[in-house]
Amino acid sequence: MKVLVPVKRVIDYNVKVRVKADGTGVDLANVKMSMNPFDEIAVEEAIRLKEAGTADEVVAVSIGVKQSQETLRTALAMGADRAILVVAADDVHQDIEPLAVAKILAKVAEEEGPGLILCGKQAIDNDMNATGQMLSALLGWSQATYANKVEIEGDHAVVTREVDGGLQTVKVKMPTIVSTDLRLNEPRYASLPNIMKAKKKPLEEKTPADYGVDVAPRLQVVRTSEPPERKAGVKVGSVDELIEKLKNEAGVL
Amino acid sequence: MPHDGQDVATAETEVALLPDLLSLTGAAVGPAEHILAAARGAVKAMVTDGDRVSGTLVEAHQTAAHGFAWLATYVESLRQMQGWAERLQAEGAFGEIEQLIHQIAFGEYLWQIYGGIPMSQGEIVRLQDMGLSQDDMRVLMSPEVMTLTQYGNTQAARSRLVELMREQSANATVGHAGLDDELGMIREQFRRYAVDRIEPVAHEWHLADDLIPMEIIEELSEMGVFGLTIPEEHGGLGMSKAAMCVVSEELSRGYIGVGSLGTRSEIAAELIICGGTDDQKARWLPGLASGEILPTAVFTEPNTGSDLGALRTRAVRDGDDWVLNGNKTWITHAARTHVMTVLARTVPDTSDYRGLSMFLAEKTPGTDEAPFPDAGLSGGEIEVLGYRGMKEYTVNFDDFRVKGENLLGGEEGEGFKQLMQTFESARIQTAARAIGVAQSALDISMRYAEERKQFGKALIEFPRVSGKLAMMAVEIMVARQLTYFSAREKDAERRCDLEAGMAKLLGARVAWACADNGLQIHGGNGFALEYPISRVLCDARILNIFEGAAEIQAQVIARRLLS
Repeated sequence: MKVLVPVKRVIDYNVKVRVKADGTGVDLANVKMSMNPFDEIAVEEAIRLKEAGTADEVVAVSIGVKQSQETLRTALAMGADRAILVVAADDVHQDIEPLAVAKILAKVAEEEGPGLILCGKQAIDNDMNATGQMLSALLGWSQATYANKVEIEGDHAVVTREVDGGLQTVKVKMPTIVSTDLRLNEPRYASLPNIMKAKKKPLEEKTPADYGVDVAPRLQVVRTSEPPERKAGVKVGSVDELIEKLKNEAGVL
Repeated sequence: MPHDGQDVATAETEVALLPDLLSLTGAAVGPAEHILAAARGAVKAMVTDGDRVSGTLVEAHQTAAHGFAWLATYVESLRQMQGWAERLQAEGAFGEIEQLIHQIAFGEYLWQIYGGIPMSQGEIVRLQDMGLSQDDMRVLMSPEVMTLTQYGNTQAARSRLVELMREQSANATVGHAGLDDELGMIREQFRRYAVDRIEPVAHEWHLADDLIPMEIIEELSEMGVFGLTIPEEHGGLGMSKAAMCVVSEELSRGYIGVGSLGTRSEIAAELIICGGTDDQKARWLPGLASGEILPTAVFTEPNTGSDLGALRTRAVRDGDDWVLNGNKTWITHAARTHVMTVLARTVPDTSDYRGLSMFLAEKTPGTDEAPFPDAGLSGGEIEVLGYRGMKEYTVNFDDFRVKGENLLGGEEGEGFKQLMQTFESARIQTAARAIGVAQSALDISMRYAEERKQFGKALIEFPRVSGKLAMMAVEIMVARQLTYFSAREKDAERRCDLEAGMAKLLGARVAWACADNGLQIHGGNGFALEYPISRVLCDARILNIFEGAAEIQAQVIARRLLS
């Protein structure tokens, strides 16, 4: 079985995000970028399936700017077998919308014929949480989102999902799309031998035109703003004063 | 009114960055080289007897000679910083943060060249110590050098640098390290490993004086650390010294003990690669590369430290075997080790390095409680300030038997020469460890300075605090570039004892300065054992001592450059 893993290059989770002065988006100039953490979990899961003998090939695919090849190299260094980069933007600030990504991925899936597509449940940059679901609709395949555990049983996948208040286990027919949640696994560190091997693994470069997909944005970002700054607190002198403030200032009593 | 050398209106406007910085700094390297050449001439005249450099005269003029070594180290630093800046510029990666680092480094180091270089806190060496007159010194002050010294390292530049450091705190290094993407990926992976697995526990290991858990050694082995530079035909990865630097740096940033585990195998392997027979290579290298064989270096004796040639441990033939007698000290990680590289005297009636031979003495790994299970071998732990995690031991040989086949290279009297061949790598690696320790001091004190509030604001808002952090970042980058330079030279198979020595010399001073200033930022809390900076201070202290003390390092550099 082949496993396809889409990975996205996003702003690193440690970065203190800054909104651009004109409010059109987040400033990404000179900002550290990394693989979306949920996608890292997806890569790890795919490699584990391969190590367990369930999968025989792991293909990573990324859609975005040329620099996304660094992200793909990381996936290869973790253990993916080969990579496909679809260069769809010149500017790091140009985000490709979920529908366009899903359309490209659908075409890649048709070409590659994977038994399983493992993707992150969402990218931590815009938190859309849509690509996997759209891809399922476009391909007409089953889907299991927010995976906490994945087991392959013959031509079915048994997926435990994280839902409000607990876990839900579903059985879906393959080929299928599984989106990963935070607790599915802990991604490995790429070892030195694997980083060396990654250099020699194939990384194919494509464009959206190769798949006949138009990536022009359909959504319009009206405004991006920083969360309101937290105001400093005050010290109260007595319980009476506290009650008075809660009543009259905060209006919660 | 503008002063001499001031061709820009920086004084009033407090602009942090000088215009056309790269041309300015590029033009400042020449005068620095000029003054170095003048110093060389003057010092050479002091130490030359007839047409030879005399050891006695070098000793008599030790401050001048060592000062000259430091001066040469500074000039090489400027050259390497310029090279780094130009390469980044060509790649479009010479951003504001890199420019500020570059400018402050030039401003500060040029001023120190002119006014005095701290060989240690109490020893500021000046050009006059090297026999230069005021007139000679003035040669340095070209218009570009005057601009850089006057406006290079300003409070505005330091403040802006720290502002950017705070914004870009997610980046693994302050400023682009100047290495390729693959090395960048290696850094990211090892940084992440250290943050997850080492940083949270290193301080506990230190306080409890524990050995680093075997689990960590196994993980490092899985990640390929022990075989990093060992050639592939011997079971290693055959990677570059530059890669070794990055790995050592990031692991030492987590904990110096962890960053040092790899070195030990690396140096033992290099000893065997350079001096061993084919059988010895086949016997030892694959195990060293996989981490299954942990080595230790057994050279120092109670009465011979820097003067290694005078050591007295004897090895005498008995049938096919050798019998060792003598006392050794400062043996790191001796308890767990599988093989000791022992330097001993085999040629009787010799008293210098010519009678020394190297042995690959097998040892049964012991435990913390029973470190030396073998017959004829005993020893004890030396309690130390820092650099714990592997522990230091004295080791006594009392009719300890070593198999005949374990004489390195199968030849007597080659020991010192064989050891010298490993000095370059050991120094490059130690320089990288120093950078890691320095960086951890910066990480820890930066965090503290942002969190700790006094007089109603975070410490980092005070210029004397942010100024310390800025200088840490700047000097770390200088030491980095000098270290990467020596690694590149080694990778290109060029002689680099000089470059490696300079990198180690500067790196160790920088690490100590960072740890000391980092602790100062912590105030009283830094003096409490509870705070990790107290450990970093102790760990940093060893860097100026082991692998060639600062004074020996300066001596070696001076002798090389004056001959």
